[in-house]
Amino acid sequence: MNTVVAENISKSFNSFRAVDSVSLAIRPGSVFGLLGPNGAGKTTTMRMIVNIILPDSGSIHLFGEPFREEHKNRIGYLPEERGLYPKMKVIDHLQFLGEMKGIEPGEAQKQALQWLERFELADRAQKKVQELSKGLQQKVQFIATIIHAPELLIVDEPFSGLDPLNTKFLKDILLGLKQAGKTIILSTHLMEQAEKLCDEICLINKGKAVLQGNLREIKRRYGHNMVNVEYSGNAEFLRGLPPVKSINDYGNSMEIRLHDGAAPGELFKLLAAGNLEVRRFETAETPLNEIFIDVVEKS
Amino acid sequence: MNKMSKTLSLIKREFKTRVLTKGFWISTILMPVILIGIIFMPALFQLYSEDKPTVVQVIDRSGDLSGEISGIFNDTLSNGQPRYLVTPLNSEIYEADKEIFHRAIEEGATDALLIIPEDILEQGEITAITASLGQGDFLRLAQQRISAAANKIRLQRAGLDPGEIENLTRRIGLKTVQISGGKESEKGFDEVWTVTFTFLMILYTTIIVYGAAVMRGVLEEKTSRILEVLLSSGNSFQLMMGKLFGVGSVGLAQYLVWGVLGLLVFGYAAVSAPHLLNYVAISPLTFVYFILFFLIGYFQFSVLYAAVGAMCSSQEDAQAVSVPVTLLVVIPFVISISLGLSDASSTLTRVLSLLPFFAPMLMFLRIQLSNPALWEIGAAVLLNVLAIFALTWLAAKIYRVGVLSYGKRPTLPEILRWLRYR
Repeated sequence: MNTVVAENISKSFNSFRAVDSVSLAIRPGSVFGLLGPNGAGKTTTMRMIVNIILPDSGSIHLFGEPFREEHKNRIGYLPEERGLYPKMKVIDHLQFLGEMKGIEPGEAQKQALQWLERFELADRAQKKVQELSKGLQQKVQFIATIIHAPELLIVDEPFSGLDPLNTKFLKDILLGLKQAGKTIILSTHLMEQAEKLCDEICLINKGKAVLQGNLREIKRRYGHNMVNVEYSGNAEFLRGLPPVKSINDYGNSMEIRLHDGAAPGELFKLLAAGNLEVRRFETAETPLNEIFIDVVEKS
Repeated sequence: MNKMSKTLSLIKREFKTRVLTKGFWISTILMPVILIGIIFMPALFQLYSEDKPTVVQVIDRSGDLSGEISGIFNDTLSNGQPRYLVTPLNSEIYEADKEIFHRAIEEGATDALLIIPEDILEQGEITAITASLGQGDFLRLAQQRISAAANKIRLQRAGLDPGEIENLTRRIGLKTVQISGGKESEKGFDEVWTVTFTFLMILYTTIIVYGAAVMRGVLEEKTSRILEVLLSSGNSFQLMMGKLFGVGSVGLAQYLVWGVLGLLVFGYAAVSAPHLLNYVAISPLTFVYFILFFLIGYFQFSVLYAAVGAMCSSQEDAQAVSVPVTLLVVIPFVISISLGLSDASSTLTRVLSLLPFFAPMLMFLRIQLSNPALWEIGAAVLLNVLAIFALTWLAAKIYRVGVLSYGKRPTLPEILRWLRYR
């Protein structure tokens, strides 16, 4: 049984079609990436899954049944725009949000204290939220998202605005939850991050799902037609040559995307003939970014 | 835990974070002080202005009243000094150099100059020259007394005996008896009105203050983006109810504090100055109605304020959009006061006192002043409770869509479209 099943969900705001017949099936225990540029419809899709807004058409099933208000207690949601009550004490705030997820007040307080301990924030429990640094406030927000041990975690652009320390911190939380068998849906417009974290992805562009499936399979399908080259000299002559589809030149190194069916060997011969000093030549999987650009251009 | 308990958690948070602030206690203490100030300010001013006698010059061209003038302005100030310094002025001297006397008035050396014409006993009209129309109280008094004196002389000339005149022209006093619940109570309109006005003032102020608090609360949750987290835990209706009941409970807590303070003062007064209690004899039923109409008024207005907070994205927008709602509070208040002072049992008052937005203040006022039928009170409560349900339904629809809409404030057609959203 899938944790989330969405069938042909659509949502319009006035005349703008934010989400257009998107269908999703999310396996329990998987990390599902909702990918796409800003404004593609990721947040709207997530809000519909959490039932903050209702789809105009289509249906959503959570945990194998149509939405019930109680489902919210089994979901942890981290919106893209973070928010806390600035004047509340950290401990009161966490307890309150725990209660809002259906935990008894005493239990919520106990959980809050345990999490604060684990995140080395125990000494800030009695401080007001506004007295904490931005980084610490973000930690409090993460705790609030998972204090009720949700089975399904939905995080919208979780890494945006985080410093490297908190990025690692959050990544470790997500990984821990994944290992504990929780289902995670995350949205991001940063493809490198998605590649590292996700088992399955859905690429959304202009409200439509343009590509979805298992990330490994998708990558295999797109094959190894990427070549990374470290070099010295002038590589301009490569542009427009038959096997080369596109070049991303950094001066000392470049990523060369080959046309489908072109062999990397052909490129190697061209490089040698072009009098470039090549220090490194390696083939690589097509990055998600390239796949995304590809799909969008085709659609 | 069930759905209800989430609303309770919201109410609990709202109550705790508001009552455990300095602001709450400061406003709770300040409010009665300000209110007492507003009510007793005019009396205080009068007390203060009484310290200085009013300087009056009188020109009696008729010559008939000269003997009476000093006698009719013989009031004294609280310090025992005469209240009016009346000096007669010769008409020729005045005519010879009006300028001097007029300048004295403008400079404040003389407060008023009264000119009694020659034909005062026939038809006459006295002329008062003064620099400020603020002398209204004095001038009314002067007119009354001079015309009474003139009447006396007229009657004397008609051949009546001075003692008889005294009897015939004795002023008639006014004692008012209000019948309420089959009991007569001997209270002057002024006393009842002061009590009623005080309660109306509290009703009006707290409705505005707590309505605006609801609006600001919703707006803060929206702009601080905490609302989206809350919406992933409870639904928008629970959130709105949590806000309304939470802030409302703070209002009731404030009343409770005032009630306790009031009882303490009352108790102290009962021991130290029992005779004062006649002035503040308020029936316990008044408090019951007061709480009832506060709750009705609060919910009617605060759901609208909640909707305003939800549809706006900034304080400035909210300020502008809330004006119509605030007018819905202000207009009934102003109407209540003017109808209360003129005629609390007119048909207009009776009809308005049943209607939503008007009933909380106007029905309360009628109960105090004109003893409406029980069915009228019942009808007003029923109508207004129904109105609360209707308004809540409407506001919940706006709230649900509004809290997730950021950016420019929505237009009326957009809001109407929100009402039709799934």
